[in-house]
Amino acid sequence: MSSGRAHADRRALAAGERRFAILLVAPALLVLLATTTVPIAFLIWNSFQTINLAMPFLDGFAGLANYRQMSGDPAFWHSLQLTAIYTGSTVVMQLVIGLGLALLVLQIPRGQWLFRIFAILPIVLAPVVVGLFWRTLMFAPNFGMIDFATRALGLGTVNWLGSPTPALVSVIVIHTWQWTPFAFLVLLASLASLPEDLYEAARLDRASAWRRFIHITLPLLRPAIVIVIIMRAMTALSAFAAIYAATGGGPGTATEILNLYAYRISFTQLDFGYGSALAVALLVLTLAVSGFLFRIRTAGSGP
Amino acid sequence: MSSTRRRPATLRRVILTVAAALILFIWAFPVLWAVVVSLKSESEVLAYPPSVIFEPTLRNFRDALTGNLSIASSLMTSIILATATTVLTIILAVPAAYAFARLRLPARQGLGFYTLVTQMIPPVGLVIPYYLILNRVGLLDTYTGMITVYLTFSLPFAIWLMVSYLEDIPREMEEAAYLDKASRLQALWHVILPQIRGGIGVTTVFVFLNAWNEFLFAVQLGGNRIRPVTVAMHNFVSIEQTLWAKLAAAALVAMLPVIVIGILAQRQIVKGLTVGAVKGGGRR
Amino acid sequence: MSKVHVNPIGRRTVLKGAASAAALLAAPAVLTRRARAEATIGGDIDWKQASGTRITVGVIPAGYFQNLEAVLPQFREISGVDVTLEATPPGQIRQKAILDLSSKTGKWATSATDPMYYPLYVANGWIDPLTDFLDKPELTDKAWFDYDDLLENWRGAASIDGVPYGIPYEGEATIQIYRSDVYEKLGLSPAETLDDYAANAAKVNDPANRLWGAALRGFKGAGQNMYIYPSIFLAFGGKWFDGDKVVVNGPEAAAALDWYVSLLKSTSPEGVENWNWPDIADAFSQGTLGSYIDTHNSAALLADPSKSKVVGKVGFARWPKGPAGRRVTSIWNWSFPINASVSDKEKAAAWLFIQWAGSKEVQAATSYGFEGGYKRLGVNRTSLWESAEYKGLLDGIGAGLTQTTMDSIKEDTDVDWRPRVPQWAALGEVVATAVQSALVGQATPAAALDAAQGQVDGIMKQ
Repeated sequence: MSSGRAHADRRALAAGERRFAILLVAPALLVLLATTTVPIAFLIWNSFQTINLAMPFLDGFAGLANYRQMSGDPAFWHSLQLTAIYTGSTVVMQLVIGLGLALLVLQIPRGQWLFRIFAILPIVLAPVVVGLFWRTLMFAPNFGMIDFATRALGLGTVNWLGSPTPALVSVIVIHTWQWTPFAFLVLLASLASLPEDLYEAARLDRASAWRRFIHITLPLLRPAIVIVIIMRAMTALSAFAAIYAATGGGPGTATEILNLYAYRISFTQLDFGYGSALAVALLVLTLAVSGFLFRIRTAGSGP
Repeated sequence: MSSTRRRPATLRRVILTVAAALILFIWAFPVLWAVVVSLKSESEVLAYPPSVIFEPTLRNFRDALTGNLSIASSLMTSIILATATTVLTIILAVPAAYAFARLRLPARQGLGFYTLVTQMIPPVGLVIPYYLILNRVGLLDTYTGMITVYLTFSLPFAIWLMVSYLEDIPREMEEAAYLDKASRLQALWHVILPQIRGGIGVTTVFVFLNAWNEFLFAVQLGGNRIRPVTVAMHNFVSIEQTLWAKLAAAALVAMLPVIVIGILAQRQIVKGLTVGAVKGGGRR
Repeated sequence: MSKVHVNPIGRRTVLKGAASAAALLAAPAVLTRRARAEATIGGDIDWKQASGTRITVGVIPAGYFQNLEAVLPQFREISGVDVTLEATPPGQIRQKAILDLSSKTGKWATSATDPMYYPLYVANGWIDPLTDFLDKPELTDKAWFDYDDLLENWRGAASIDGVPYGIPYEGEATIQIYRSDVYEKLGLSPAETLDDYAANAAKVNDPANRLWGAALRGFKGAGQNMYIYPSIFLAFGGKWFDGDKVVVNGPEAAAALDWYVSLLKSTSPEGVENWNWPDIADAFSQGTLGSYIDTHNSAALLADPSKSKVVGKVGFARWPKGPAGRRVTSIWNWSFPINASVSDKEKAAAWLFIQWAGSKEVQAATSYGFEGGYKRLGVNRTSLWESAEYKGLLDGIGAGLTQTTMDSIKEDTDVDWRPRVPQWAALGEVVATAVQSALVGQATPAAALDAAQGQVDGIMKQ
């Protein structure tokens, strides 16, 4: 009897909770539904069309033609490869440098806040300014500060943005510079919140600092690290403004990641149909990468 | 004995501090250099070897804020845009994130996945659809239109970020509140919200930052009324020349509001960052 | 003058001073009464016929449009048209105009347009032939506006098959700019041929002392390396068309690209591969370049002591001749077409604005007649280029600038400098990428151009 009533109560409670949850989610979801559904549908629809402003007489339904074109387009595969290199290397570097810096700063007894403020500066600088400043005031041979530094150190001069491989390295450096502070801040906070007693126990065990790091710190940091990787990967996959300002995707196509290629096809070559297909490809890629990373993120149960 | 042990420890700390300070100095160098550049005359900017001794001038800041190329009105636009976007985002995102993180929500996985997808659409693919839609409803170059567009990327980001904070709160706290016969809304308001103040602080800063630094939509969907600083900054990169010193001054001025928000939120963030793992993020 | 008296410096204006005070305040302080006084407007038409209409005009944030903005209150007053200029960054104005035109939004009644886009706009029917406006006596005072006085090649660049679609407002001539002091010291004279040019550059080149021989735009894209390369291509005797087919990989093309690559590789600063015009002008103004070939507009910067360290040490000469015996300069100007999808009333208002902005009076008032510090150099009319005031302005910047630019505009400009097909935006991008690839050594010039030809064929075949 009483258990039956309790059961009913719990059910009523659960139903109430559901109603409440729907109520809370509804406004945000309605806004998203209203603002993104039509654009996504439109984008996907366009990707099945021929829409070339330079040749309007060709416009019409294209079926899978844009996707077939993509599979045989060396520029697409090239940009995809660059996207992989760019995303992979920037994420790894941000993580390693950010974590290293966080471990370092954590040991500093006073003035951590100063580091936090300093660290945030690159993120706050507008991306186009980031691109232009690095391009001319930092990287330019014979004029920039980096050139000045490498010469002063006897390393000679490097034509950073004017030759393909160094240009790719340069845009990776710029992105890493701009966004490592994010990884640094997040990981610093996570490190600060790790339980102290675990370390004490390990210290008594006379575990070496390295072993403590590998066996205690890293596993505890895992959720934070995975989140950092996911967010950094998403930002890197859609990087645009800084590369656009620094190299425009060049020299040649040496820094033209997929996002820039889609932009060029849509807005310079005015082939909106194919451009939409490339944007869809980028969307699918982003989904795949973050889906994979989410699976790694065992701890979370969020969206 | 104890003193010999302490001395190396102190020395070690000094070395670490110096090392960290050095690295951060190098890291912040481009921004610090922008400060130097902003105080130079245009002809001095590209001097090589770079000059450090020069007669500093505040003229560039004056030119950035007044006269033909002024970004002053754009600053106002950016502040309104970013603030409105942030406020709306937080109001909409926090309850939604709460439902996602803590409540029995029908089709939670599906809906959560959906919010993620909306966050991942490449902006390059959205410019044309947004342009056509905003034009249809007469909202091109309006705050309403622009804020709506900004919500599409700030909202999923904020929901997603808030979820990870909400997941960290011990469940017992809410249950205790229910036992007190508090309504669900009251529990959310009085028990949960105070717990996630820090998370809200972090989210606020990054949502604000993302709206503040947005360019692609601003330039294509805005116009004379909606011309945020990211667009106005191009006044100094005009077709004839790049006015480096003025660009630097404008860029620094445009950093200020975000830094102020950051410092205001600092206390919250410190708390927020120390609650469990995480968090924050950014677009581009 | 006009039926409805529109002379803005008449007594009426003075009496209405209070009413226009707001407009005056909105304009920069440089707009003194004298500047307005010089901007007298003629034109025997009813300037008020579109009064009350609101139009927006897309421009870029550049000095020459800021000068136009400064005298704009005059147009508002004589026409009653509520016109606003909307400044859009140069990198985005084309896309924004295309979004507007292709979706028939009608946001911009007219906008500053790159000549390269006329074939595209016309093929899509996005803009109106200006004959509809030029030939109507109630809309245009032909004798006063004097369309034929507009620089011939600029007119041509904004026309398709002889039909005018745009009225040029501002433009430039491409010329050779060199360090007269350095050339004098080394006993050099400005290059007559491309070979001379490379030889001069080699003699000047002295990287150890931070002086490089020459630089040309290396950044890829329209208005970047594609501002320079087509001129060299044509000077080497290249032809864009073989019948109907666009050809970019002939032997002349390979030779032209070879010349460009070897010049920049041997006598330009490292990094030139990534340079656009401000970078080159910056480097030259710092005294680190012996010569460059670029717009005559940049001469003004070189004469500005607040930015330049080479004031008074600058000489000017025409584009050198290529092996084919031709000097070919690029065509660059901003012109105003009329958006086909705005209302008739707005079209009339836009036309009045375009006519006004392109008129002799306003051209002068924004150039040598302008009271602000920056006097624009790219006026659109033969009569102005030949006027004493304008020559005085140019000669004040550097000796020989007047003659050089005039010769360049008259003799060296080729309307078909780039193939005028709607697909050029895409084709140009392909060629631009090939040119830069060759420059950075990703491929030999011939191989890069062959690959580009493949892509060109792909685009044209679709």
